[in-house]
Amino acid sequence: MDDRRVAILGGGMYRPDRVRFDNAEEGVAMAYRQLLEDIPKLDPQEIQFVQSSYFSDHLNQQLCMSWIVQDYIGLHRKGGYRVEAGGSTPLDALINAYFLIKSGRYDLVLVAGWEWMSEVDTATTNEFIASASDTDWDFTVGGFYNGYYAALETRHMQLYGETIEDLGQIAVKNRNNAVHNPFSQWRAEHGTSYVALEDYYKDRIIAWPYRRWNCALISEGACCLLMGSEKVAKRLSKNPMWIDGVGIGTDSMRPGDRLANWAYHGVYKADEKIYPEKYEKPITPYPEMANFGFAREAAKQAYAQAGISDPLKELDVAELFAPYDGVELCLYEDLMFCPRGEGKTLIREGVVKRGGELPCQLSGGLTAFTHPVGATSLLQTLFLYWQLAGLIPKKLGDPTLQVKNARKAITTGHGGTGCQGGVIIYSRD
Amino acid sequence: MAREGKVIEDKATPIKKEWEAYARKGNWTVKGYEMVMAPTGPGKLEESREAEYMVIYRPHGVLYHHSYGLVSKFFKGLIEKQLLGTKCPKCNTVYCPPRVHCWNPACRVAETKWIELPLKGKVHTFSVMLFSADAFLEMLPFVLGYVQIEGADTALPIQIVTAPTEVFVGQKVRIRFREDRKGDLMDIYAMPVKGQAIPEDSCLHNNPQTIKDLNRDLENTYAFLEKRFGIKKEAAQRRWKAK
Repeated sequence: MDDRRVAILGGGMYRPDRVRFDNAEEGVAMAYRQLLEDIPKLDPQEIQFVQSSYFSDHLNQQLCMSWIVQDYIGLHRKGGYRVEAGGSTPLDALINAYFLIKSGRYDLVLVAGWEWMSEVDTATTNEFIASASDTDWDFTVGGFYNGYYAALETRHMQLYGETIEDLGQIAVKNRNNAVHNPFSQWRAEHGTSYVALEDYYKDRIIAWPYRRWNCALISEGACCLLMGSEKVAKRLSKNPMWIDGVGIGTDSMRPGDRLANWAYHGVYKADEKIYPEKYEKPITPYPEMANFGFAREAAKQAYAQAGISDPLKELDVAELFAPYDGVELCLYEDLMFCPRGEGKTLIREGVVKRGGELPCQLSGGLTAFTHPVGATSLLQTLFLYWQLAGLIPKKLGDPTLQVKNARKAITTGHGGTGCQGGVIIYSRD
Repeated sequence: MAREGKVIEDKATPIKKEWEAYARKGNWTVKGYEMVMAPTGPGKLEESREAEYMVIYRPHGVLYHHSYGLVSKFFKGLIEKQLLGTKCPKCNTVYCPPRVHCWNPACRVAETKWIELPLKGKVHTFSVMLFSADAFLEMLPFVLGYVQIEGADTALPIQIVTAPTEVFVGQKVRIRFREDRKGDLMDIYAMPVKGQAIPEDSCLHNNPQTIKDLNRDLENTYAFLEKRFGIKKEAAQRRWKAK
């Protein structure tokens, strides 16, 4: 593999919301247009490849939507294809584009991501999303991802003792970040006032232990990012954001199978030891149903490549793919910000809050900013790009969320019930 | 004819007429439209202008015929009131849900053997669903469990029929069969064994406020059930009593 560096050179977004009536290709075109305004030196004809990212064919009654999108923006002579992996779709698209450039084959790749999720009613949207679970097994019992994820969180909570209040603190943190993000759905729905823990307790339980505020949003929106090799980076961008490391991991399709998870067996001995003694140990105590092994695997690869040994200290800002607040808490552990079982400490001590050592979800994340699946990691990456370039005050019209002197950032992807996902480490010069 | 195979038992023909007609009816043609005014453009909401959109209504019905493959035996077992799992002859892992091939890399995709499992297990984890997909709405509040069947090394997704405020991790359950069995996991459900004390450290019970809040939102669910389906709260709660 070529040892040249790969960077995010800039991007544009189409503001996501619960329902948008511009259609997907128009949304992508408007995001692309923002990108072209941001990178005026880019000649569209220079783009060599379009990496498309969207999750569901069911949602829009359309296969091969990437062909519509690619021709709509006039890039249909160029190479291009889609990747798809549930919630991990957009992160995998970024990693794939990274590989395409890193291989030496291409110098300039456009990554286009979108999702239009409100063309069927909410229950049907949930069914379509849940059809990414095993439809012969998990899907048949409840047909609702919120339920599966809630069950995973119940297990973690029982083993490691975080409380409803901890989940509430994460929900409140993410909302009170999102009010400073004028592109967030929370701000569109709620306005700019802060919420407190007592407001969280009033929120309705959807699938215990999760309330509505703990769960990912349903969204329609788009984002485009330009990625390039070192050769083109300096010419096109004042603020290239380098990809220092990537990693991809997988776990079983059905979470219940993770009790005898032979692929992981004996790999994480320290984490197996932390398993509380009063509970009968399954054959494979880590990740079990309580943690996310794919994230550990991906983080291990990405940190090794990026030369990171103490992520909590070395990283300055995190945008995690956390569709549920318990996932965010578990990821603190699986991404090795803290030992297994200590996720609760990071929220209790404010480490992950605004102004903390490693603020997570300053954008508001999937539960308060937005979650148009195929665009989500692109939007989070664009947000990190603005962070590292110091552009938050300008782009959001509000300096509150800007992390001072941010140099290194992490983002993650997450599909299924933790079935697949990845990690990307970014940095600036 | 099920695709190219020879049909040896037919429980489909009577329903095919009904559902094939439904699948044909929703045939991707536009049935109606609305004109809608809404914000356009990529930027902040407060800076958006309005545009006029045509929204079409286009149904799409589908009837799948899907083979359960070599784990068909498990689902036929449910219809015959048997709970089956598989066991790897090399590493002895017992799978329920069954796998016809062992996934332990050391066993090199060994073929497993079918075994009958006892109708009991314990709750590995659970969630209390107060909303769900359409097909399950009438069953709300729905306790989704992952239950480790006695003798099995993995956990099976299964509905737990119980008062949602009484379920806990580690709870012993019995597996029961529904009267009307169709060949999926909803043919069975779990019911807690009577007389078990809720452990003090149960994450649902270790803070009284949690149960109070759950009860408050259960009331919303009962109100929804009555309004949408005419199911009274008492009738919903009667389901939890063992027959």
